Amino acid sequence: MIDFKNNPLKTSLFILVIALIVVYLLFPFYWAVNSSLKNEAQLQMTPATMVPRNPVTFEIQPTFRNYQAIFLSGQFVRGLRNSVIVAVAVVTLSLVVGSFAAFALGKLRFKGKNPSLYIILAMTMFPQVTVLAGLYAVITRLGLRAIPSMILSYMIFTLPFTTWVLTSFFKDLPIEIMQSAQVDGASPFQTFYMILLPLTAPALVTTGLLAFIQSWNEYIFALTFTSIEPAARTVPVAISLFSGEIARQEPFGEIMAAAVVVTIPIVVLVIIFQRKIVAGLTAGAVKG
Amino acid sequence: MFFTVSVAAEDVTITVAGGAVGQELEMTERAAEMYMEENPGVIIEVLDTPDLAQDRLGLYLQFFEAESSEVDVYQIDVIWPGDLAEHFVDLYDYGAEDIVDMHFQEIVDNNTVDGELIAIPWFTDAGLLYYRTDLLEKYDLDVPETWTELEETAQIIQDGEREEGNEDFVGFVWQGDAYEGLTTNALEWFASSNAGTIISDDGYITVNNERAVEVLEMAAGWVGTISPTGVTGMAEEDARAIFQGGNAAFMRNWPYAYALGQDPEESAIAGNFDVTTLPAAEDGEPAHTLGGWNLAVSQYSENPEIAADVAMYLAGFESQKMRAIEATMNPTIEELYEDEEVLEAVPFFGELYDVFVNAVARPSTVSAPNYNQVSEYYFQAVHSVLTGQDDALTALEFLELDLQDLTGFEIGEPQN
Amino acid sequence: MANNSNDLAHQEARLAYKLLAPAAIILLLVALYPLGQVFYTSMTDRVFASGQEPNFVGFDNYRQLLSMRIVELPPQVDDDGNIIRDDDGNIVYERPIQVLPREPRRFRDVWQINLFGTRYLIAASNPAFISAITNTLIFTIISVFLETILGLMIALVVNSNFKGRGAMRAIMLVPWAVITVVSARMWEWMLASSRVGIFNTLLRRFDLIDESIAFLQTSTWQLPSMIAVDVWKTTPFMALLILAGLQLIPNELYEASRVDGASKIRQFFSITLPLIKPSLAVALIFRTLDALRVFDIFQVLLAQSRYSMASYNYFQLINNRAMGMSSAIGVVIFIIIFVFALMYIKALGVDAE
Repeated sequence: MIDFKNNPLKTSLFILVIALIVVYLLFPFYWAVNSSLKNEAQLQMTPATMVPRNPVTFEIQPTFRNYQAIFLSGQFVRGLRNSVIVAVAVVTLSLVVGSFAAFALGKLRFKGKNPSLYIILAMTMFPQVTVLAGLYAVITRLGLRAIPSMILSYMIFTLPFTTWVLTSFFKDLPIEIMQSAQVDGASPFQTFYMILLPLTAPALVTTGLLAFIQSWNEYIFALTFTSIEPAARTVPVAISLFSGEIARQEPFGEIMAAAVVVTIPIVVLVIIFQRKIVAGLTAGAVKG
Repeated sequence: MFFTVSVAAEDVTITVAGGAVGQELEMTERAAEMYMEENPGVIIEVLDTPDLAQDRLGLYLQFFEAESSEVDVYQIDVIWPGDLAEHFVDLYDYGAEDIVDMHFQEIVDNNTVDGELIAIPWFTDAGLLYYRTDLLEKYDLDVPETWTELEETAQIIQDGEREEGNEDFVGFVWQGDAYEGLTTNALEWFASSNAGTIISDDGYITVNNERAVEVLEMAAGWVGTISPTGVTGMAEEDARAIFQGGNAAFMRNWPYAYALGQDPEESAIAGNFDVTTLPAAEDGEPAHTLGGWNLAVSQYSENPEIAADVAMYLAGFESQKMRAIEATMNPTIEELYEDEEVLEAVPFFGELYDVFVNAVARPSTVSAPNYNQVSEYYFQAVHSVLTGQDDALTALEFLELDLQDLTGFEIGEPQN
Repeated sequence: MANNSNDLAHQEARLAYKLLAPAAIILLLVALYPLGQVFYTSMTDRVFASGQEPNFVGFDNYRQLLSMRIVELPPQVDDDGNIIRDDDGNIVYERPIQVLPREPRRFRDVWQINLFGTRYLIAASNPAFISAITNTLIFTIISVFLETILGLMIALVVNSNFKGRGAMRAIMLVPWAVITVVSARMWEWMLASSRVGIFNTLLRRFDLIDESIAFLQTSTWQLPSMIAVDVWKTTPFMALLILAGLQLIPNELYEASRVDGASKIRQFFSITLPLIKPSLAVALIFRTLDALRVFDIFQVLLAQSRYSMASYNYFQLINNRAMGMSSAIGVVIFIIIFVFALMYIKALGVDAE
């Protein structure tokens, strides 16, 4: 889209903008990595240091104890596993249910379209805190275990979003494709499954990603639902339960180490996932 | 002293919910193991809960709302018995009279609501003044005993250190954020200046008086002078970070910071600080807010008898002694403060015995079941004065009206 | 052919209902009871986790939350009837507590304004909640605006053809991948009020300020700090959604336009913007709704020193156990968000039809 082969001024401006953006996005993460390699004394140094240094001699001295600690604690590793399970389930469910609903709302004609859209949207208009108590009561009444409870309740937030995004993408797809498929004798469902779905690959990948991250990040429901089931705790809960040696002490270094450990694989996974699917499907499917 | 319980046909699981932090958890598990050895047929499980009292309370409330029988024994903050009394059993029904006398009377009273013993004291806490011994020596100053002395001493040291090049040095750090911790700090200022204890023990609202106005103005004066502007956002860990990093002359904090500060690998001030009683007004007595945790047995437990037995064992002599020696946790049993082994391990338990025995309790029991709201009104009022949003008189007047509306109590004079 | 199209229409409608069924079931299962309970409880004085019987109080909770008054604040006069002024010549006013109404419930001032020489107090029976509403609104408007601009820029960059594009895509995701509560703690440390925090360290090192700034404790810096944290965290969200929209624009359109001699700017406004409007619109709606419900960062960074609507809700429920009141707060938040959503949808035209 932007072509800068012959325009040095524009190129340098462009590079400058990129550089600024990159610094803005990455600096806090760099700070997290930096902090994760410091022990308490190093964290309390003033002025704060860009790399971990010995408080007395000032030579560079990273501490690896924080990483040791989080991996020794079974909680954290188990938390990773639980988070992945919940997130994958939520994404799958959201995409499946959401794309069905989106197809209906975006392409089919029936009564009650607008009200349905609004009702679905209305789910996201309540702060989590408000529904928490009621939801917990429902869960305990139904006797649901922690992981299914989390999966179902995260749907309140991921489903409306997924449905809306996919609906708008479906709407934009030209009606001709559908009609020509119908002329060819395909049922609406076949049209949906074999033609429309691949065309909206970017939307699917994007909403899937966002649903994944949303579920990955969720804290307050997870904390409540897994309170009596420690084995089901997800990463945010596990991290919040990190504690130092003594009550009240907050092991900031360990929390940062956990953040680093959790973020890097996600980014890597997402890159692979995104590249494969988007490249594969959009390469041929872009309207032409 | 503990009770043996007859073995049930199948194993009974008692779940204890509470602090699962490092050494604390280790101690609890060890005590649990000792109990389980004596009482086969009982399995004790420790459920870890968030360390932040706020989050822990939120979780407990969810359990109570659902009347859950999942947890049998709860570790509760010293200010919760009043508000949560309806969810716990009366330990006097389970033989607590026999053991209650060995604990600090103040705490037992605090835990008694309408004649029922809601919780057994487990460990206690009191606010202390931390000071830098090396700096006092350097500037040839004494440990301050009044608030005015503290202001002067802190100012001198702060000016001196800053001149020498440490721009980040401050005189005094404490907990000034808008949360329960501010209530504990402000209560100390009030009680040590004859300004009352917010609500008196017999149910009078004493918070709006002249001394209170003075003392609030004094504290507000610290912000930006001997205390950094950011003190109005500091909790225990923030204050500790500054003091332990070597950047403060005085700190008000709980005993937990002592052991952490003495660790030479993690602390810049190891060996150069000590603790003492907090300052008071010229005509007042030092006051230290009572903190600490207790064990209570849930009303919804399926095995209250065994749960009560477990609770009383965990809070018993042996267990508390172990915690005192190995984890510097303040016992609630008077005898332990004279025990040689304990004193050898933690000398300041003995030096500061008076502090722990005479700690000032927050008015949680008298204002039950609304203590949390009372505390919120209070710390928001104090916070607004510290940040300069309100003047002390207005804030206290509104506070008085709010408390009246909430509790229905009448206004009275502070008793000291 | 009339019969055929009717049948087709019926077939379509039936299929539509079948497709909508799973979504409906899930939402009914998970949302119906909690939401219904919220509406009902908001009309009672129920206490959370308590055996006390709740009483029906009608709209009392709402009145407590939302009542406002405007009261005139007279200046202080001395015995002769002259207005008292202070050393700088400013008028000294009466203390608000003396003029604020106390029936049917007590009011406290939220703002003081001067209008035509008279000072007025804008008072509310629940100043904390009113402040929470304004905090949230300011936060939402500014952060969504910044996130949209920034997200658009990042999406445009990633979508363009240059060598570092893959890396850019990865980098773009980093803030979003860091767990919210953890990133809040991280920013809390960075924004620390002494030089323990990196911002103060850098600002002081480059001599931009003399004294450290207490970002989270000074009222002028609190909302900007919240906005900075949120923009960092959620710009990727906007960027990703806009990117998805950008990727669906066929290259031929740009080719054709370039051949026609249109400049980059022209192309942007006549091709790009209109075509990404649907994804931009959806992104805007959801981002705004999310911002209006902001909770995590306010709870972690500002706790009870400054509320957002959702964090105020949380503290009412957990600290004060005022379940009736907090349900009413939930309903008020819902209504505010609903109004916003309606405005957006009408303005951006993203209805089904």
